[in-house]
Amino acid sequence: MSRITVRNVTRRYQDTTAVDGVSLDIADGDFLVLLGPSGCGKSTLLRTIAGLIAPSEGQILVDDRDVTDTPARDRDLAMVFQSYALYPHLTVARNIGFPLRAKRRNRAEIRTRVAEVAQILDLSALLNRRPRELSGGQRQRVALGRALVRDPGAFLMDEPLSNLDAQLRTATRTEITELHRRLGRTFVYVTHDQVEAMTMATSVAVLNKGRLEQVGTPTEVYDSPASAFVASFLGSPPMNLIPAEVTTRDGRLHAVAVGVDVPLGIDVPRSADGEPDPSAGREVQLGVRPEHLTATHADAADDDAAVPALRGKVRTVENLGSEEIAHVIVGDGEVRVRARRPAGLAAGDTVALQVRPEHTHLFDRESGRRLVWRPDQHSSIPAARVPVTT
Amino acid sequence: MFVEIAPPTLAEAAAATAAEATATRRRSVRGISRLLGRGVVPYLYLAPALGLLVVWIYRPLVETAQYSFYSWNLSPTTPAIPVGWHNFHRVFTLPEVGDSVLRTVLMIGLLLPFTIVIPIVVGLLSREVRGRARTVYQALIFAPFLVAPVASAAVWEWILTPGSGVLNRATGLKINWLHERVPALLSITGIVGWQMLGFAVLVVAAGLASINGDYAEAASVDGASRWQATRWLTLPLLSPTLVFLLLTTVLLAGTWTFPLIDTLTQGGPVSATTNIYYLLWNYGFKSFDAGLAAAAGVVFFAAFTGVAMVLVWLSDRLAFHDN
Repeated sequence: MSRITVRNVTRRYQDTTAVDGVSLDIADGDFLVLLGPSGCGKSTLLRTIAGLIAPSEGQILVDDRDVTDTPARDRDLAMVFQSYALYPHLTVARNIGFPLRAKRRNRAEIRTRVAEVAQILDLSALLNRRPRELSGGQRQRVALGRALVRDPGAFLMDEPLSNLDAQLRTATRTEITELHRRLGRTFVYVTHDQVEAMTMATSVAVLNKGRLEQVGTPTEVYDSPASAFVASFLGSPPMNLIPAEVTTRDGRLHAVAVGVDVPLGIDVPRSADGEPDPSAGREVQLGVRPEHLTATHADAADDDAAVPALRGKVRTVENLGSEEIAHVIVGDGEVRVRARRPAGLAAGDTVALQVRPEHTHLFDRESGRRLVWRPDQHSSIPAARVPVTT
Repeated sequence: MFVEIAPPTLAEAAAATAAEATATRRRSVRGISRLLGRGVVPYLYLAPALGLLVVWIYRPLVETAQYSFYSWNLSPTTPAIPVGWHNFHRVFTLPEVGDSVLRTVLMIGLLLPFTIVIPIVVGLLSREVRGRARTVYQALIFAPFLVAPVASAAVWEWILTPGSGVLNRATGLKINWLHERVPALLSITGIVGWQMLGFAVLVVAAGLASINGDYAEAASVDGASRWQATRWLTLPLLSPTLVFLLLTTVLLAGTWTFPLIDTLTQGGPVSATTNIYYLLWNYGFKSFDAGLAAAAGVVFFAAFTGVAMVLVWLSDRLAFHDN
């Protein structure tokens, strides 16, 4: 059982900073996914936790014990490598038993424990094979077995599914989630695959360029992204981000750009001295998820009572089987709309797009951080820069 | 009624194949000569290398086998007299052949610490040296390999001179390094070992570099100490490299030691440094007994081929292709 605390960890290489002041508190039994594009520092952070890389600054704590200077072998953490790193000259049984052998456990105990783990992972028939005689999925399970065999405080996994084909990946995903539920141990899992993050995690930490963008449950991260980066990283296709300006009309806030006039559902009480709300004129990025846009043909929309929020012309429509994605030119940019098939849209159609105010997101144009409305302060303030707890 | 949908046919593709087949038939007569030309080209590229191999390696090999059945003194005016298996009989009965085989084995044994044991230690330790220092360090170790053996022999002769030599003066010993039996053998193997060490360290360093770094990291997370990881992972994974070094030492010890023996001891004192290669050379070019030298050459060629085959087989057994 281990709680892992990452305190202000920075890792620099010559002129690049791979991890930049990251702080995380991974509760005991948590399944934390470190999510981000390649090169965002997620693997470096995991290796720092494992003890394979020393941080340039900051501390790593396991159960409130500072392990920053403790070698990897004394941290009681097990790791599954992206390459699996199975020892090629040892049989499956000896690979799985390796951590126990290193701890000088007696042979009988090792044999019993290896048999137990092999049973759990359905490897019993393969114990005498060498890694090169195994399929990708079997190798992956051996790597898991080597982590499981010694009952560590926490499991660290570095993109363990990335070498598997799509079908096997889905199946193994479920198995790992099941394993986490059964063991109740802390898991720290690195991936660039948002589907893995959304389906497996109890909390997701999104990293970008070595910095922590947001930590939260999959739902929080998807429904209220803390930055434009998180918004544009999650979702397939990701959230539409439209440069716009906030204006006040009839005491209500709108996000306005060419072909865009989206009501934000916020009433601005006129201040006593008659000054306009300071939000007016603020340059923002308006975020709307493709599934939250509903499209109607422009001519039909005239009969509708609602004023269209966005107007544009369909460039192309992609068929995904169950749904379709329409790419709509709005102003200078392009907006993706996700709709159930058949949505009746075709390239060249002029369409009106509607969005409900609660489905709009605003991000600062400069910093990219999420803007939230605080009625009592008459202004929008950015959300906390770096949430610390999960 | 239900009608089954037929799978997509490859009608068009089939038509295309048929058309091509007709074309091929039409082409065939004219194409034969061109095909022939195309078949010859690769061999033309190989020809210079093959030609040199035939002239300098295979032809002498065949001629050696022929001479082993003759008695001849290498003089172009003297005819070679056929003697049947007599030369081979001498090879297996002359006591000096047996002695020199033993000495050869002894020399190989004395060289192994330099080509295997020390390189492993140096290779493992020099992994701890980082950056430019490591390159400089490896260059220093490799340097003796680049010194011409005859040149190094001259320098070592000064160092080992009994009265005024640096070695005896520095250690206070009074050993006649090149003219006493045991010291002479140790000197020759020591100098060869010093020269070959750099080469062996380079091979071990390459072998270590080819081992995926993930294994060491996995082992450290798995709780293995550095010594355990070295013993259980690094050395087994390095074993094909070590077998290669063993093979090189066994097969090339003669070639490496020859120039030093010839310049420093001429096989002496009292044959104490005469290995089979030097003995062969003595038979052929000192005693002008070409038949005996050829017969001994054929026998040792066969013996070393056997040793090499065993070691190559061993190397294949030990190689773990990781993927």
